[in-house]
Amino acid sequence: MIQNYFKIAWRNLLRYKGHAFINIGGLSLGFACSVLIYLFVQHNLQYDNFHTNSDRIYRVVTEEHRDDIDFEASVPPGFAQAFRTEYDYAEKVAKHALWDNELISFPDQKKLKEDVAFVEKEFFEILNFPLTHGGVADLSEPNTAVLTETMAKKFFGDYDPIGKTFQLGGKTLFRVIGVLKDIPKTSIINTEVFLAYSSIKDYSQFLANENGWGGISSNLQVFTLLHPNQSIPAIEKEIQGFVKKYRPRSKNVHHYKLQALADIHFDPRYSGGISPNMLWIFGLIGFFLLLMASINFINISTAQSVNRSREVGIRKVLGGLRSHLFWQFMIETFLICFTSLIIGIFISVLALPYFNDLFNLELDMNALSNAQFFGFVIVLLLGISILAGTYPGFLLARIAPVLALKSKLNPKDAGGFNTRKVLVSLQFIISIILIVGTLVINKQMKYAINSDLGFDRNGIVRVALPDTVNESRLNSLKDRLENYTAIEQVSACFGSPGASDNRWGTSLVYNNNPETEEFQIQVKIGDVDYLDLFGLELVAGRNFFARDSVDEFVVNEKLAEKLGLNSAEELLGKSLEVSGGFMKGNIVGVVENFHDMDFHEGISPVFITARNDSYSELAIKMNLENTSASIEYIEKEWTEVFPNHLFEYEFLSERVENLYESEQQILSLSTVFSTLAILIGCLGIYGMILFYVGQRTKEIGIRKVLGSSTFNILVLLTEDFFKLLAWAALIASPIAWYFMNLWLQNYSFPTELNWWVFALAIGMIMVITLLTISYQAIKAATAKPVQSLRTE
Amino acid sequence: MLLELRNVSKWVKSGGMRTFLLEDIDLEVEEGEFISIMGPSGSGKTTLLNVIGMLDEFDYGEYSFLNQPVHKLKSKARAKLYKEYIGFVFQSYHLIDELTVYENIEAPLLYKKLSSSERKAKVAETLDRFNIVAKSKLFPEQLSGGQQQLVGIARALISSPRLILADEPTGNLNSTQGEEIMERFKELNKEGVTIIQVTHSEKNAEYGSRIVSLLDGKNLSN
Repeated sequence: MIQNYFKIAWRNLLRYKGHAFINIGGLSLGFACSVLIYLFVQHNLQYDNFHTNSDRIYRVVTEEHRDDIDFEASVPPGFAQAFRTEYDYAEKVAKHALWDNELISFPDQKKLKEDVAFVEKEFFEILNFPLTHGGVADLSEPNTAVLTETMAKKFFGDYDPIGKTFQLGGKTLFRVIGVLKDIPKTSIINTEVFLAYSSIKDYSQFLANENGWGGISSNLQVFTLLHPNQSIPAIEKEIQGFVKKYRPRSKNVHHYKLQALADIHFDPRYSGGISPNMLWIFGLIGFFLLLMASINFINISTAQSVNRSREVGIRKVLGGLRSHLFWQFMIETFLICFTSLIIGIFISVLALPYFNDLFNLELDMNALSNAQFFGFVIVLLLGISILAGTYPGFLLARIAPVLALKSKLNPKDAGGFNTRKVLVSLQFIISIILIVGTLVINKQMKYAINSDLGFDRNGIVRVALPDTVNESRLNSLKDRLENYTAIEQVSACFGSPGASDNRWGTSLVYNNNPETEEFQIQVKIGDVDYLDLFGLELVAGRNFFARDSVDEFVVNEKLAEKLGLNSAEELLGKSLEVSGGFMKGNIVGVVENFHDMDFHEGISPVFITARNDSYSELAIKMNLENTSASIEYIEKEWTEVFPNHLFEYEFLSERVENLYESEQQILSLSTVFSTLAILIGCLGIYGMILFYVGQRTKEIGIRKVLGSSTFNILVLLTEDFFKLLAWAALIASPIAWYFMNLWLQNYSFPTELNWWVFALAIGMIMVITLLTISYQAIKAATAKPVQSLRTE
Repeated sequence: MLLELRNVSKWVKSGGMRTFLLEDIDLEVEEGEFISIMGPSGSGKTTLLNVIGMLDEFDYGEYSFLNQPVHKLKSKARAKLYKEYIGFVFQSYHLIDELTVYENIEAPLLYKKLSSSERKAKVAETLDRFNIVAKSKLFPEQLSGGQQQLVGIARALISSPRLILADEPTGNLNSTQGEEIMERFKELNKEGVTIIQVTHSEKNAEYGSRIVSLLDGKNLSN
């Protein structure tokens, strides 16, 4: 029986090749996307699930309560030791300090820049990153290091790395004592060089201090393995005692929280990898694409049921029951879905490299060979077969044999006429929402990237400076660079005004007030050329003079606002004490506000001053005519001054764009998926117009005989589609508006949600629909009426 | 008695008026009869045949088939009844285009609980009986009209029905082909199969043992 069903299903596929193509084409694309999305979601859900005791591992993070709340995925350096000795909640506690992009040099003069992490011994006892031979790495001795296999190869080639040495940042010599198995990509830990924590004293006094409670460095993470069965809220409440004990007077009130290991990847507040919303959106889009393909299937099958009705009639006369016919159709659907699935998996394998490229991922196909994927595919296959097959199957099985055999069945008896209209509208709605989404994200990106940020970025290149720079060498480098004709100006600084890797927010005391202010101020350090080079406009006062001591500050207008002053002038001449007296001086100038952060954030109060020991990069402004020659020149000069270091540069404008990396990803995502949605939708509409024209051949013939023009016929054939589109636009616009408005609320500086975005989306669909149906419609409208009438 | 219709009426309503398709039909059919239903176009011949074949419902009256009250049966039970005892032959053959001759003939057996070897045996026997073994792998469109109707009859007979309902079985055939088909029916009838055919042709009606004449849904022969 089933064999017979398969046979006839196959023959029907061959017989109606066009429809088969539309059905299988759409479903294959839908399945291909689903497989890719599955891989993506699966990848994200697997983060750090491979550690023994995963459920008892936590990271300690901090909520900083000032006038607003900041979230730091870190704690003060003194926390770990205090948590270890003063309480008995934890079996183990370990610090992990990231030192990114640090120079690593080898005895044979080879140089590299790599991210490294200083970790305490217990780090490898909490998290499972075993040595290649299976043991646990022990970094209790100072100046020891372990590397992953890949990194060991990169460092020492095929030589045995054990016992080999390398120097970090031109300071300490580290000895390799072990090689780790490569760390899975699905871990929040992605450094591949681990160093004994005790050696951090050579790099950061702040992080080395076991009793430091004064501030937080985002480089530090503290992991802990708790004893079993403890109440997290109770622990969090108890450790709040640290704040009273160690930071009794701070305006920045810390709240220490335990973040479960499994949550780390998903918490954007603590710069987690991805927000769970993104996974939902991905999943939803995959579902929508499959839904659209299923709708095509339903529409084509119900429209085709007139063609199939004779067979249904005969089978009923021969004794077939409704259930027989229903299942026969379900098996046909299953066969089509199965074929599509196989093609879809094939497409996804081909598309995976591009997908990885687009979304900066390293997914691989290994995940496709496990039982879980098999389960997913089975569920998907059955789910879509049922979604797509049930309704048309039911309609087909219901056909009355007497009518079917007499060929008296008209399309309305075959059913699904109104259903098809609703379904086509639904496809329009999904397409409109996806296109509006894409347009709005694109608009916001353009707005964020192309808006005047309040500082110049064109032609500005950032060049990193080594950690310790001798002032005279720095000045000689500046002079040599400025001598080059294409270079207009050079400024040594801590970071650019906006889009900076280096951020430093700290406390301030204004005008010798007894109290620290409730808010943080952002520290920008730059030499006298800083303001001019970045085009920061003074609104009051003057720039600071070049001097040896720090005693003159320039601030921004936002500070005046935060302090509740009426004008920028009031700030002039007032004293400012920053970072608990670390820097002290008078305000001599006020600049216009600029975007020191991306458009998600508001503008912070900022102060700018010169400070010779804090420069970490050179900002170089050059004309854009022969940039590669200029860069070459800069590299040459730089390397002469710092022969033991690696030269690196980056354009500021690129860095501004990189602020919106995740948005870029969402944009590529929505572009790809809305294109696919439109493609699948077009397939469906093409299928519908085929039937539509077929059904109305006679009507068109009669109308033409009665004197109707070709244009009238075209209007007749297209107006129904446009009516559906109008309905869809009416329903889709508010939905799209609601969601995009919600999305824009993530931004302190959102773009406007103009009406034309919606008009453009609807217009696009209209044009695409028109193009899709035009060939068939024109063919029908220009056909000779004699032929169409003769066939009757 | 094979079947009996009592006061069977079937109508459609249009504008509050009843238009009768069948009006007060009484009909008794004994096993082994060969009945021809005749009458002009629109007289209700096919409707009557469909009612007898349980493909169509009626609005009033009683119908018993092998002493079972058809008008009281649910559609599933009716389907079971006709799939057991009735075979249909149509003017336009109504073979399934996507199936070969073999598969078309096999189709009714698929809806019965037969093992595949039993099916094979039955189909082989039928193909042999109708002399169409050589054509078993062809599709309907590769056959002439007469051959297609032969397949139609073979298909109707495969489940050994007690009654064959034929709706103008020779309507689409030329006279030679038509005669062959009618000879087949005559033979079948001799073997004991009851046949009811709808026909326009006096000549075909002569093959039968009794004629039922319809006009405007009424039985004139009573």
